[in-house]
Amino acid sequence: MIPLDELLGFSGVLFAIGIFGVLTRRNFILLLVSIEIIMNAAILNFIAFAAYSPSGSPSGQSIAVILIGLAATEIAVGLAIVLALNRIIGSVNVAQAMELKL
Amino acid sequence: MNVDALLFALVAGAGIVTALGALMAREVVHTIMWIAVFFITLALTYFLLLAAFLGVLQLAVYAGAVTILLLFAVMVVRKRIFSREAAIGIGAPAVALTFLVAYLMLEMATSVYTSEPGQGYSVADLSRNLFTLNGAWVLALGLVMLSALVGAIYLAHESRGKAIRSEEGA
Amino acid sequence: MVLGLGGRFLGKASGWIAVAAEGLALLAGVWIALTEASASTVYHDRSFVWFSLPDGTNLVMGTLVSPLGALMLIVVNVVGFLVVLYSIEYMGHEEGLPRYYAELMLFLTAMNGVVLADNYVEFILFWELVGLCSYLLIGFFWKRPSAASAAKKAFLVTRVGDVMFFVGVFIFFTAFATQTVNPAFASSVSVYPGASCPGHLTPTWACSGFVFAPPNTDSNVPFLAASALSGAANQTLMTLGGIMILGGAAGKSAQFPLHTWLPDAMEGPTTVSALIHAATMVAAGVFLLAITSMYLGFTPDAALVILGIGGFTALFAGTMGLVANDIKRVIAYSTMSQLGYMTMAVGAASFLVVGPGAGMYHLFTHAFFKALLFLSAGSVIHALNTQDLFEMGGLLKAMPVTGYTMLIGALALSGVPPFSGFFSKDALLSLTWTAAQKDPVALPFFLMAATGVFLTALYTFRLWFLTFSGSKGRSEAAHHAHEPSWIMRAPLVTLAALSVVAGFFPLIGGFNHWLPGLSYGIFGFTQTSKGWVFAAADLELAIASLALAFAGIAVAFALWGNGRVFHLADDSVWKAPQKVLVRKYYFDEAYDGLAHGVILGAARVFDWVDRYVIDGTIHGFEQVFSMASLRARRAQTGLVSSYAMWIVFGLVLLLIFVLYGIPYLGTLWGG
Repeated sequence: MIPLDELLGFSGVLFAIGIFGVLTRRNFILLLVSIEIIMNAAILNFIAFAAYSPSGSPSGQSIAVILIGLAATEIAVGLAIVLALNRIIGSVNVAQAMELKL
Repeated sequence: MNVDALLFALVAGAGIVTALGALMAREVVHTIMWIAVFFITLALTYFLLLAAFLGVLQLAVYAGAVTILLLFAVMVVRKRIFSREAAIGIGAPAVALTFLVAYLMLEMATSVYTSEPGQGYSVADLSRNLFTLNGAWVLALGLVMLSALVGAIYLAHESRGKAIRSEEGA
Repeated sequence: MVLGLGGRFLGKASGWIAVAAEGLALLAGVWIALTEASASTVYHDRSFVWFSLPDGTNLVMGTLVSPLGALMLIVVNVVGFLVVLYSIEYMGHEEGLPRYYAELMLFLTAMNGVVLADNYVEFILFWELVGLCSYLLIGFFWKRPSAASAAKKAFLVTRVGDVMFFVGVFIFFTAFATQTVNPAFASSVSVYPGASCPGHLTPTWACSGFVFAPPNTDSNVPFLAASALSGAANQTLMTLGGIMILGGAAGKSAQFPLHTWLPDAMEGPTTVSALIHAATMVAAGVFLLAITSMYLGFTPDAALVILGIGGFTALFAGTMGLVANDIKRVIAYSTMSQLGYMTMAVGAASFLVVGPGAGMYHLFTHAFFKALLFLSAGSVIHALNTQDLFEMGGLLKAMPVTGYTMLIGALALSGVPPFSGFFSKDALLSLTWTAAQKDPVALPFFLMAATGVFLTALYTFRLWFLTFSGSKGRSEAAHHAHEPSWIMRAPLVTLAALSVVAGFFPLIGGFNHWLPGLSYGIFGFTQTSKGWVFAAADLELAIASLALAFAGIAVAFALWGNGRVFHLADDSVWKAPQKVLVRKYYFDEAYDGLAHGVILGAARVFDWVDRYVIDGTIHGFEQVFSMASLRARRAQTGLVSSYAMWIVFGLVLLLIFVLYGIPYLGTLWGG
C-alpha cells in the first residue's frame, strides 16, 4: 500500500496547481478545469483516508461518491454559466465579466 | 522499492504533469485532452488504493462524462475561445500564494497520524454505508442536483439571455 | 402490494385500466386484511432501513398491517373501487381523463400507504401525498376560478393542521423515542394476550389484552410502559403533543377551527367528493387519532379537548347543513358533522383508556353510506345538471334506483335501526355518555352530539324530500331526468347493500380485534378469558337516540315532505340566525379579517420600528461606513480572479492556524 503521507502530498500538490489555475487563468473553461483539479485533490484525500480508516468504515469512499456527483453537477452549472456568459458578453473571459460588482 | 510504490510514483508524476499541462496548454481543446489524461491518472491511483469502484466511477464520470461536457462547451462557443486569449496575467502574488499553499499542504501531509492500511471494501460494504449512514447526504445531493438542474436550465434558456441583454440596453 | 401505477396515460381506455388496477388492489387489500384477521401475530416488516441518523436512530420504511389498518384497507379499497367504476360514466365526457385517473390512483396509493405505514415519518410522507392529491383533484376543473381557489384553500387550511401535526410528532419523539423512531406506533393496537397489566390502568384497555408495543420486539414494551405509565413522561408535554396531533387530524378531517375548506372542496367532481371528502381522506384524520389514541390515553386533558372539539363540530356543522341549498354541500356538512362524532368517540375512548373501536366502527359504516349519498347525489346532478335542491323534486318516479338507494343512505345516516349508522352511532353515543358520567366536563358535548342526531335526521331528510318527493319537479330539467346506466347504478346498489349490512359487522366472529374497545352500544363486546362476549347494552340511550332521529325525520316531512317547499318568511325571527348559518358563521370573513388585521397591524408596528429605531441607528452607522467604504471600495475590483485571490489568502491563513496555531495554543493551555 502507498504510504498515506505520499498520497496526501500528491493531493496537496494537485490542490496547489488547481489554486494556481484559478488565480491566473482568465478563460472561464480553464477556471472550471482548475476547480475540477481542486475537487479531485479533495476526493483523493477522502479515498486515501478511507483506505487507512482505523475503524474499517468505508465512509470516506461514500463521501467520495457523493463528491463526484457534486462535481458533475457543478460542471453542468458551470457550463450553463459559460453559455450564458458567451451569449451576454460575447466572451468567456472572466476579466470582462465585471457585473459581479455593481 | 516495491511495485506499488513504483507505480504510484509514475502515476503521481503523470498526474502532476498532466495537471500542469492542462493549465499551460495553448489551445483550450488541448487543455481538455490533458485533463482527460489527468482524470485517468487519478482513477489509476484509486485502483492502487484498492478502491476499484471509485476508480471505475472516476473513469465513467470524469474521464467520460465531464470531459465530453467540457468538449461540448468548447464546441458550442468555439469561435471566441478556440484559441487562448492573449494576456495571461501571472501576477507575482498569485505565484507566491500558490507556493505557500503547496508548502503548507505538504507540511500538513507529513504531520498526519497514520494507522495501518485496510484491505479495501467491497461494493456491497460501500453501498450499505452509503445508503444508511450517509443516506442523508445522498438525499442532500439529490436536492442539490435538482436545484442545479433547474438553475442550469434557467441560465441556458435562450429568452433569458435576451431579457438580460435588453435590460442592459435600457 | 401498494398498487402498480404504471401505464395509465391512454386516453379513454385509462378509466378501465384504472378500474382493473383498483380491482386488483381491492382483491389484494381484502386478502391482506383477511390474512390479518386469521393470523396470530401482526404482520410487521421493518426490514428496509431508509437511512440512519448519526445518533443511531433508524428511519424505517416498513409495512404494518395492524388491525385498525386492515379495517381501513377494506374501507379504502372497496369505496375506491366502486368510485372508480362509477367515474367511468360520470366523468366520461370531461376533458383530461388520464389526468383524473392518474390523480385518483395516486390518491388511492397514498391512502393505502397511510394505512399501512409503519411509523409516523412514513405516515407523514403518505399523508402529505394524500393532501397533494386532494389539492389536485379538488382543482380538477382548474379553469373554473372557484375550483382553483377552493383547491388552494383546502391545501392551505390543511397545511395549518399539518404543521401542528409535525410539532406533535416531534413532541412524541422527545417524549418516547430515542432509539427507534417510535416504538409505540410501530404496533398500533395489537392483540397481545398475556401482557402484564401496567399499574394504575387496570382493569381497562391495557389489561384487556391491548398493548402498544410491537410483538416482535419485546424490548420496547417495558420501554414505553416505564416512561409513560410511571408518570416519568412529562404530562404537560404529552398534553401539548396530543393537542398538536389533534390539530393535524382536525385539518384533515375538517374539525371545528379548521373546517372551512371542506364545503368549498365540493367544487371538485362529485366522484372525488365521494372518495376523498366522505369516505377516505377525511377519515385519515380520525385514523390518525385512533392510532395515536394509545398515547392520548395518558393525557386525559388532551382526550377531553378532542372529545369537545368533536362534539362541538357535530352540532356546529349540522346547523350549517340545515340551510345549504347545494345538494353536495348539504352532504359535505353532514360529513363534517359525522367526522365530529368520530373524533368525539376517539377522544372519549382515550379518556376512558379503551381502544378507539367505536370511532372506527362509525368510520367504517359511515364510509359506505356517505359514499352512497355522494354517488346518488352525483347521479342526480348527472341527470339534471344542477346542484340546487330547489330545482329538483319529484324525481323518485324518474329515478327509482337512485331514489331508493339514497333513501337507504339517508336512513343509515340518520341512525334508523336496521341500517348501519344506527349501531355505530349508538356505540359512540353510549361511549361518550360513559365518559360524561366520569367527568361532567364532557356532558355539554354529549348533549351537543345528541342534538346533532336530531339535526342530522332533519337535514338529511330535507335533502331527500326536496330531491325526490312530490309529484313533479320544480325545473325543466327535473321533468326529463332519467336513470344512468348500470355502470353508475351498480356501485349505488352495492353501496346500499353494504350500508345495510355493515352495521352487523361486529357480529361476525374473528374480526372483533379490529374494533378494539367497542365495548359500549348494542353490539359492544369485551374480551374475557372465554373469548369475546357481548357487553350489556344501554337500551335507554338507544331508544332516546332513535326517538331523536324520528323526530328529525318527522319535522323534515312536515316542512318539506310531499314536494312542499318551505322558505322562511322575510320578517321571521329565524331570518337572522339563518343568515348567520348561510354565511357559515362568518368564519371565512373572520379568517380573512384576522389575516388582514394581524398582518397589517404587524406591518404597521414593524414599519414604525423600521423607520425610527432601525433607520435612526443605521443613519448613524451610515456616516461611519460611507467613509470606510470609500476606502474598501477599491478592494472590490469585480474581477473573479481577485476574489479568488482573497479566498486563497484566507485559506492560507486557516492552514497556518491549523498547522502552527493550534499546536501552539495546545502547548500554551494543555502544557
